[in-house]
Amino acid sequence: MFNDCIIIYSIFGGCSQVEEGAKVELPFWLAQELYLRQAVSINVPACFNQKTRREIQADAANVDLRSRCPYFYEFGCKIAPLVGDRTIGKMLLSTFQMRYKDILTKAHTVAYAMASKFLTVLTKEETNLYEAAQLSMATFKKWRIGGPRFQRASVLGRKRKPIE
Amino acid sequence: MAGQSDSPISLFSPEEVEFIAEDELMEIVPNMRMDPLNFICGDFGPFFPQIPVKVPLWLAVALKKRGKCTIRPPQWMSVENLTQLLEGEREDQGTFQAVPFHYIEISRLLFDHAREDIPDIYMVRSLIEDIRDVRLHKVETNLEKFSATSAVKIAHLSAMEVNVVRPFVVRSLQAFYKHDNPVVTADLDSMSNRQPQVRQPQVPNNARRFE
Repeated sequence: MFNDCIIIYSIFGGCSQVEEGAKVELPFWLAQELYLRQAVSINVPACFNQKTRREIQADAANVDLRSRCPYFYEFGCKIAPLVGDRTIGKMLLSTFQMRYKDILTKAHTVAYAMASKFLTVLTKEETNLYEAAQLSMATFKKWRIGGPRFQRASVLGRKRKPIE
Repeated sequence: MAGQSDSPISLFSPEEVEFIAEDELMEIVPNMRMDPLNFICGDFGPFFPQIPVKVPLWLAVALKKRGKCTIRPPQWMSVENLTQLLEGEREDQGTFQAVPFHYIEISRLLFDHAREDIPDIYMVRSLIEDIRDVRLHKVETNLEKFSATSAVKIAHLSAMEVNVVRPFVVRSLQAFYKHDNPVVTADLDSMSNRQPQVRQPQVPNNARRFE
């Protein structure tokens, strides 16, 4: 979250560095604190602007959300109340609904190497989801194929060092 | 958040599900004489040669490994029964056939340890594999229907099938719940209530300080 910068209008009076009305990019946590103290107002970040929304509406599954914001959903939930934009919440839900199906089908079927290109457009949250499914599918397959049923504890079979 | 929690990927590993399945009762035909066994989970035996007796799967496997019995495969593990099941699964895409809760684990244990006790083992094995594949595919199509927070009801899923999709399903439902929740709008309201406050000089204890 610390890398997510947003533009603020600074209304610091008498501050030598930042003039009132200037646009500054700040980490979200700082912007939030300043906002709560009425020091700044926050603009909608670029990853939730109209252009991105149109792209998502056109073809949600192929929009590269990771390059826009690796924590798209989480950030969206946090920023929505601050910028006072009620449509962000709905947009997050519909985006997730559309992308969910793609993750579902790819996660349980496609081999990992094949999916690597698909993985690059996923946000961190979506990647977690995908990897959870992949991992559970892989452990199931491993169990099904079999192999050694018992693992030998690493301490066993180690030769004791001769005492000098 | 869409599946951001650090909770363990899956509550049970396949091995653990198999372990639970080993409590299922199996019929065995011993070839030795033995007194009853008294376990916490119950009493089994006495054992007489050629007299069928029901024991937990783990005990059946243990006896089988020592050559003390033959295992009678369960009723549902016959070619006719499985063929019927497979047809049912293929015909009815909407619902699942009622299969034994631990069919995947039981069949694997029996294939591993008692192959000579199962008639038509190759046929049985490929039928069970087909059934499993058809069902797993069906689970996936069922999951595609998720679109928002809603009650989910899928009848007749088996233990292993649930376990395979659990990490994904739990996380996606969490994400759907989060984004389909009026809490976000409620936050927004409380936030606008806070706005009219004048700048307060004191910083809360847990807030990050900035100068």
